[in-house]
Order: sequence, then C-alpha cells, then structure tokens
Amino acid sequence: MHGTADDPLIARIAAELRRPVPLRPDFDARVMAAVRRAIPSLPVRAWTWLREPRVVAVSPLGGLAMAAGLAGLLVVGTISRKPSAISRQQSAVSRQPSAVSRQQAAVGRQPSAVGAGAAASVTFVLVAPQARSVALAGDFNDWDAARVLMRREASGLWTVDVPLAPGRYRYVFVVDGRRFVADPAAPRAVGDDFGTPTSVVTVGGGALRAAGGSL
Amino acid sequence: MNARILMLAGALGGLVAPAAARAQSERLAGRLDDRTRAAVTALVDSARAAGLPADPLVNKALEGASKGADGARIAAAVRALAGDLTRTRAVLGRTATEAELVAGAAALRAGATPAFLERLRADYPREPLVVPLAVMADLVARGVPADTAVRSVLALVRTGMREAELVAFRQSVERDVALGAPAGAAAAVRVNAAERDFANTATGQQPPSAPPRPRKP
Amino acid sequence: MVEDGSDGVLVRRVLDGDTEAFSGLVARHRERGIRFATAMLGDVADAEEAVQDAFVRAYRSLRTCRESERFGAWFLRILVNRCRTRGAMRRRSERVFVHDEAALERAAARPAGNTEWREEIDRALARLDALQREAFLLKHVEGLEYEEMARLTGARIPALKMRVKRACDHLRVLLQEVDDARNR
Repeated sequence: MHGTADDPLIARIAAELRRPVPLRPDFDARVMAAVRRAIPSLPVRAWTWLREPRVVAVSPLGGLAMAAGLAGLLVVGTISRKPSAISRQQSAVSRQPSAVSRQQAAVGRQPSAVGAGAAASVTFVLVAPQARSVALAGDFNDWDAARVLMRREASGLWTVDVPLAPGRYRYVFVVDGRRFVADPAAPRAVGDDFGTPTSVVTVGGGALRAAGGSL
Repeated sequence: MNARILMLAGALGGLVAPAAARAQSERLAGRLDDRTRAAVTALVDSARAAGLPADPLVNKALEGASKGADGARIAAAVRALAGDLTRTRAVLGRTATEAELVAGAAALRAGATPAFLERLRADYPREPLVVPLAVMADLVARGVPADTAVRSVLALVRTGMREAELVAFRQSVERDVALGAPAGAAAAVRVNAAERDFANTATGQQPPSAPPRPRKP
Repeated sequence: MVEDGSDGVLVRRVLDGDTEAFSGLVARHRERGIRFATAMLGDVADAEEAVQDAFVRAYRSLRTCRESERFGAWFLRILVNRCRTRGAMRRRSERVFVHDEAALERAAARPAGNTEWREEIDRALARLDALQREAFLLKHVEGLEYEEMARLTGARIPALKMRVKRACDHLRVLLQEVDDARNR
C-alpha cells in the first residue's frame, strides 16, 4: 500500500473531483430518445427479438403468444413472475391457438423528414401453423381478402409487407378464407360497427402543414 | 373564409366529382347488393358535397361487406362515420388531412370531446395529429377511461413527446395491463413519471436519491 | 423518475420489455458517470456524449449484464471503455470553440470560488498518462477497490497500483504549489 490514501493533498484533489458536474437539462431526454431508437443486439429471449424500439412493435402479449406459437410451451416459467398473468395470456392463446401475431409499423420519424404521403412498409405477421391460407383484409386494400394473401414461412409463420401512407387503418386476418381473426398484439378498434373485433395500425410521419394554414 | 373562395372550392369539387364518384361506385360494385349500394352511394355523395373525404366511408362499407353484415347495418355504420368525420372537421378545420379526420373520428368515437381535438391542434399547430389522436383511441381500446386517455395524451405532448414516444407510452400501458394492472392507473402512473422526468430535466434538478457508492466487493 | 426499484428490478423490467424503466437506471447512474467522464476527458460536452453513448450501449447489451444488482459497476466499465476510445480519437490540444448555450450556462453555474482550483486540477490531470489518470480516478474519486478495478479494466492489480502511485506522485508535483497558495 502506498500512503497516498492518507495524503491530504490527494484527498483534497479527490474531494474537488467528486463534486457534481452539472448536466445539460435535456440529458435524460436525449439518452432515452437514443435508447428508444436503439436495437438491442444479441437476441436471446423470443419476445425481445421481436421488439424494435424504433418502430411500433408487438406488445408482450403478442410476443408471448408468438413464442408459444413457435415453440409450444416455451413461454411457461421463463418470462414473468406472475403466474396468474401468464395463465391468463395462455388461455387467451389457447382459445385461438393459431391466432398469434406480430405487427410492425413505422412511426416517429420526424415529420419534417418525411414527405407528404410518403409510404412506410408495414410488416404483418401471424403465427398460424394449422392454417392453409391466411389473408389480410383492411382499409388499405378494400377489405378484399382475396387480394393480399400472406406468405407462409417456416414454423407456421405467415407474413406480408404492405406500403402504407401515414394514417390509421383497420384490418383483420382472414384464416382459411372464412375465419376473421383480430391481431392480438395490436390495438383494437374502438366500438366495432359490425360486432367483430378489428385491429388498428397507425402510421405516423405525415407532412408538416404550411404556416398560416390556408385552404 | 370568404364566400368567393367557398364557391370556387364548390365548383372545383363539382368538376372533380364525376370521376371520383365513378371510382367509388366501382369499388362498391360486386361487394354490396344493389339497394345497399344505392344507399351508401347517396351517403358518400352528400358527404363529399359537404367537403368530407369519401374513401373512409367507402372503406367502412367494404369492411361491412367483407364481414357479411346486412345492408341496413352497413348504411348505419357509414352514416355514423360521416357524422364523426363532420364533427372532427368542424374542430380541426379544412386543412385537416384525411388521415387526421379518420384518427379524429376514432378519438371522438372513443369518447374524446371536441375540446380535446381543439387543444391538440392548438398545441401542435403545424404537425400532423394522426398519432396523438390514434394513441388516445388505442388507450381507450385497452381499457383506459376516455378522460384519462385525453389527459394523458395532452400531458405527454406538453412534455415534448412526439410520435414514437407516444406510441412507446401506449405500448408501456398495454404491457402493464397485460401484467394485471388496471389500465387507468397504469396510464396515470406513467404520465406522472414522464411529467416528473420532464420537470427534473427541464430545471436541471437532481433526483432525490444520489447514485449509490460502489459497494466493496 | 421511474425509480421504483433497485437496479436489479429495473434491469429485469427492461429485459422484460419495459424500455421506459431504463430511465430509472439513467437517473441513478448519470451523475457518477459524468463526474468520471468529465475528469477523464477534460471536457463536459465530450463527457456527456461519452456517457450518453455508454448508456445506449448498456441498453443494447443489457442481457449480458451478469449480476443485475451490479448494473452500476457494469455500466462504469462500459463508460471507461467509451472514454478510452474517445481519448484515443481526440487530441487535447485541438479544441474547437463552438457557440454552445448549454456550455456557457454550465460555466456560469460553476461556483466561482473553486473554479481556479478545479481548472488547475484539470490541467494537471490532462498532463497525466491516460491510464494513470483513469486508475487515479477510479481509485481515489470513485473509491473502487483494486479487485474491482482489475475486473473493470482488465489490468492486473500490481500494474494498477503502480499507475495510481505514479499518478499521485505526478499530481503532487504539479499541484503542491497551487494547493499551498490556496491554503495560505
């Protein structure tokens, strides 16, 4: 050991260096903004690789369901310490065993960086291993279930990319041409007029309006 | 706005109408029975004459068709949406985009008052309102009471949150609800945290607890 | 602040998908981070960038944080590396003067009485070898034990002790006079 621990000068230097340094007032906000934009590397848990913080991503309900859809009972015991929450989610999953999905949309680019009506590519994903066909019907395609057939990938994952201009769109998945399935991971439409649950996707980034707002 | 501009807009609308109307009825053809199609077309035409966008109304009719709803129900849904769009436009003004009108209609349907839309427009005079309106409606869909959803969005906008952050807030509330929290409480707690955060960073104050000294290993 | 919980609780919440919980970790560890980075890099603006960068890296690789209750120590390691990278990239003699309101405000906010003393210390620190400066700060300002420092820097304890000793000797030479003048 050195004696430097007892050295009063060193102690005075250290005391001065321990004084708090004022941070810029928006420091926290800047860090969190950068954090939200960041993509976690090293995907390990199933639902975190689905999340991309810079886009509207799946809720954990959808993530859990996705994991369950992909790997059976992967969900149990690895996620939450609240068994009641898990069983509730699991029973929701088992009611519609093939109806689990993921939704991504592009939101939150600075409005000035996006031209009026610039389209974002939105990926719709449904895990439905038992389905023979899955289609997407919504405001963006005249609700025509015959038009947008989703592509089946490994493990029963169905997917399609749709370019969407900024706006809010209602949609559902149509399984095997007859079963309407809402997206459990997406927000619901409020007050459905036709008695069936409908999902909503919102794409942000519309144009700034001109100052003065003329006609 | 003076009468001359209104008349010109009306005249232009009249010039454009025939092509647009044809496009609309093409979209409806083969999807609705004749009677329903006539009813919906009439509704859409009068909405357009009043300056509302037709696409959302046609989409609503097609949604009903796709879901196998009967004609009367489809017509009622289109009529209700036209009313919501009208009320939205009355507040947001003629410069509102179609996307804003649709999102505004959803917010009204979710229980927002026109005052909320006015407030948002006042706070965000130049930016598109689609996302804050949509987040309000989405929160209500998740179980947050309408007035809490309104207060939350307005408070968050005031802290400087914009689109991605508003959506992240909504996702956080959804996660809380999925884990068993009551939706209204979850929203309120998160808004309070965001407001405190904003107040602290804005004034440069330090949070109450100092960072922990490193523990001896 | 979203400071409802220990580091371990917040880390687990973030890993479960609650990105916003990370703000609690930021709030808790930013001051110590900026204190170290400012003394290490000699410039508050640089330090803020380094700390912000470190937080983002910490978020991205959060699941590699072995003991979530020791987030602070793990974060400090990331920050130490960020500062090393920046220090290597930057040459202290090249400072670009930028009109920065925030920096001016901060300069004004510093208590006048100690500004000169702090400036002298900063000047002296700048003259130290980077690894010595780092070791000095970790030992005497952050108060870490040598075992902890070894884990954090990857250096061996004898080497770290030597760096601290040399740093202290050098600082003593540079600052004794100034300190004497202050205390007269």
